[in-house]
Amino acid sequence: MPLNIVVLAKPVPDPAAAAEKLGPDNRLDRSASPSVINGNDEYTLEAALQLVEAHGGEVTLLAMAPAGGAETLRKGLAMGATRGVLVTDPALAGSDAWSTAKVLAAVLKDLQFDLVLAGFDTSDGVGGVVGAAVATLLKLPYLSSAAAIEPNPDAGTVRVRRISGSGFDVLEAKTPALIVGTQLLGAPRYPSLKGIMGARSKEVSQRSLADLGLQADGSDAVGGGAARTEVSARRTPPARGAATVVRGSAGEAAKAIVALLAERRLV
Amino acid sequence: MAGFWVIAEINPDGSLARASAELATLARELASTAGTEAHGIVVATEPSAAAKELATYLGDVIAIADPSLADHAWAQVAAQRAAEVIDTSGPTAILTGAASDGRDIAGTLLALLDGAILVNATAVTWAEGSGESVEMSVFGGKLITTSSFRDGVDVRIVTVRPNVVTAETASAPGTVRTESPKADLTLPSVAIVDHVAAEGAAAKIDDARIIVAGGRGIGGEAGLELVQQLADRLGGAVGATRAAVDAGWIPYAQQIGQTGKIVKPQLYLALGISGAIQHKVGMQTAGTIIAVNRDPDAPIAEFADMLVVGDLFEVGKALVAELDARG
Amino acid sequence: MTTVAAPPTSSAGQYRLTDEQLLLRETLHDLADERIAPRAAEIDRSGEFPEDIRQLLARHDVLALPFPERFGGVGGDLLTQCVAIEQIARADTTSSLILTVQGLGSLPILLGGTEEQQGRFIPDLASGAKLVAFALTEPEAGSDAGATRTRAVRDGDSYVIDGTKRFITNGSVASLITVFAVTDPEARTSKRLSCFAVEVPSEGFKVNRLEHKLGIRGSPTAELSFDGVRVPVENRIGEEGDGWKLAMGTFDRSRPGIAAQAVGIAQGALDAAVAYARDRKQFGQRIGDFQMIQAMLADMDARIEAARQVTYKACVEIEAGAPDGARWASIAKLIAGDTAMAVTTDAVQVFGGYGYTDDFPVERMMRDAKITQLYEGTQQVQRLVIARALLGKGG
Repeated sequence: MPLNIVVLAKPVPDPAAAAEKLGPDNRLDRSASPSVINGNDEYTLEAALQLVEAHGGEVTLLAMAPAGGAETLRKGLAMGATRGVLVTDPALAGSDAWSTAKVLAAVLKDLQFDLVLAGFDTSDGVGGVVGAAVATLLKLPYLSSAAAIEPNPDAGTVRVRRISGSGFDVLEAKTPALIVGTQLLGAPRYPSLKGIMGARSKEVSQRSLADLGLQADGSDAVGGGAARTEVSARRTPPARGAATVVRGSAGEAAKAIVALLAERRLV
Repeated sequence: MAGFWVIAEINPDGSLARASAELATLARELASTAGTEAHGIVVATEPSAAAKELATYLGDVIAIADPSLADHAWAQVAAQRAAEVIDTSGPTAILTGAASDGRDIAGTLLALLDGAILVNATAVTWAEGSGESVEMSVFGGKLITTSSFRDGVDVRIVTVRPNVVTAETASAPGTVRTESPKADLTLPSVAIVDHVAAEGAAAKIDDARIIVAGGRGIGGEAGLELVQQLADRLGGAVGATRAAVDAGWIPYAQQIGQTGKIVKPQLYLALGISGAIQHKVGMQTAGTIIAVNRDPDAPIAEFADMLVVGDLFEVGKALVAELDARG
Repeated sequence: MTTVAAPPTSSAGQYRLTDEQLLLRETLHDLADERIAPRAAEIDRSGEFPEDIRQLLARHDVLALPFPERFGGVGGDLLTQCVAIEQIARADTTSSLILTVQGLGSLPILLGGTEEQQGRFIPDLASGAKLVAFALTEPEAGSDAGATRTRAVRDGDSYVIDGTKRFITNGSVASLITVFAVTDPEARTSKRLSCFAVEVPSEGFKVNRLEHKLGIRGSPTAELSFDGVRVPVENRIGEEGDGWKLAMGTFDRSRPGIAAQAVGIAQGALDAAVAYARDRKQFGQRIGDFQMIQAMLADMDARIEAARQVTYKACVEIEAGAPDGARWASIAKLIAGDTAMAVTTDAVQVFGGYGYTDDFPVERMMRDAKITQLYEGTQQVQRLVIARALLGKGG
């Protein structure tokens, strides 16, 4: 039986560009770096693509981002996702994790799916909490730290190998379910050239706050204006001095190391 | 101020996780500054041992035994049980760990209690008027931000990194009160149907004081043995870069870096590691960083305390000998 | 009286890289860095054809790029192909040759073959299941392609081919070889040759030897002998006597690919030199802070960008059917090949003594760069082509 999988894919500043910065309002300045799909989301996307290759079905990318996010999703479409859904609204700039969870939950309410897959965390937020919040809002079974995902579409269940302190726990739940993945799901593929050429004809539909029946103000507001946290200050960490470079014989080097360890009371 | 709450995590053997002892210490200090109470919550099939241990750090600990946890995933169950007992009648801070279990429970509580959240804290302070101040390291360590919760937000969740404070027991142990589960669970449960043991479960690196890590330069199993020997001599844990994990020399649980763990040991000994940004972000805040590398221009030289230029096998063996000689 | 050529009036030569081309460039950039570059030194050292890279390229549809979609190709235009070639060449020239030669060898079939022939040959090339080689050069016929001696004699419903071909890239790994042979020894040069698609192995076909080369060591450069090799008439590409035209038409479309390869080699060398200049310290500071190093790097970058832009422009002009397409192809190859040689030599210079060792990739890049001044028409031949476009044929 075919599977319908929604993959949460967040456009983030490209970590390789190492150009991330905060704007004067202490919000992330998204124009400072090129935007790419969050690295960890590529792992879950890869897992989703492999699952639909095995079972049949479709993969939908879901992102909450500024309007340019549709372009960022192109790579995911080129990798093989069927379509994209972009939630975009100027009021969403500066949203906190809570807003993000509410908005994603609102979109998911209108989508049909067997599985929602979320990445372990994002390279810009490094929180890893939105998945759990969305699952709770939608009352979906929540399975996290997945190293392997095995759906059983005929039985309407899914099994996940969850990384534990001593190895793996094997979890099982009914679908639809929300799963948070890890790097162990397997390295993401490069888009094939045919995929790249075909991505243009795939649909990325857009939703605004109004489309979702949400507001930017009032008691149940979402978005930057409704953010419940704020950055009040920032500083650069003190630079570490350059290293003492030790050359010479292995014996001399070992003595130098031990001397430093002793000085710092580490041995 | 309704108080500070710590949701404790339990080790597989039923004892209290080190990170939770640290959180409890932090909560106690914050509560003292804020003039309010700190509480701990332990949810498990058998919470008493961990609750007793937690009570050596906190004045008030609630132990909740939920038998369903024997074969159901922890976080969503624990979050619902915790939500039953946390007093949210005023500004309430909830502290959890920042690793998988901590994130799971924090995210679930965020939705259950309609709260707000700050993640991956490297420091938490409290001040009159402004309330909690949470420091976070962002952009791969390039920037440290200080964040706070806006007025009118009562439930304030913070996920806290390990090694932010040193665990310190209170001057007198607190009390443990037992609570039973109050209501049926509203969130769908996730069953645990099996456990699979990992081959050679290694010492956890998450909160290790000392880490000896190997990179591409260790070359394989033989190099890994040297890393393990040094870890043993120094009383530390073994870590690795992504290159070593991808090559199959070491399990992912020991990977340090952007897609692995972020660690803050007191000593990080890096063997055959170039110090590229993907790895750097995982260990750059370690107290002392010593690198051994053939390449004098390896990027790690820019932020290590000492770079030994040489063959890591020769230097490593000499270091083992030197440490053995010290006895 | 000769007149100066009129200024260009068409807007055919405008271009911007499309979103697809940008994503393709980014994808191949990553693929090359992560999967190909780590293999480059070993490929050069061992001299073995990188079958794993060929599979990698096939799996990602890279070898499908030059071919029409209806035969299983991606239908990439010349500019798209060049964007791809440049990214691979940046990491390893030998690997980029797998793609360029797949294009070169198949161009006669794409330009002059019937729909039936294309349907027969192209799908396996597009899927990467088979490799193709281009066999024009002979021991006595290099720049002087008109001196070709290999004979193809009609015998019933076949041709019988006898002769020797030399410096044939992929000659020992290809399953299909486009062979140029004399069918009419009495005719003038431009009508003497015909082109044949020879499927190998075949009775009478032999790989005599592989060359030991200065660079592109992982690319098998073969001497092939044809000793009574029978080829069915259905495998002749075009009419008898079309060979010369097909070969020249092929070069007009393949030379930009070599230009792109040269640009890629140069870019890879520049990237390595810049990284080194950032890290290497002498006299208490990084060498990138010294003006002489900065001047070298700046000149390298400027030359590469110029070569890149003329290559892209040539692609667009040729694809648009410009009447001086041959001139464009030759200009691109001339400029890019010389750029690659100069830039890689300077890259070694930036590295100093270390650049002379195989601890760093620049010495290999310098050796690899040289071939771009030699094959698919030497730089001297390119100049002849350009001069002819300016002056017209000799009177």
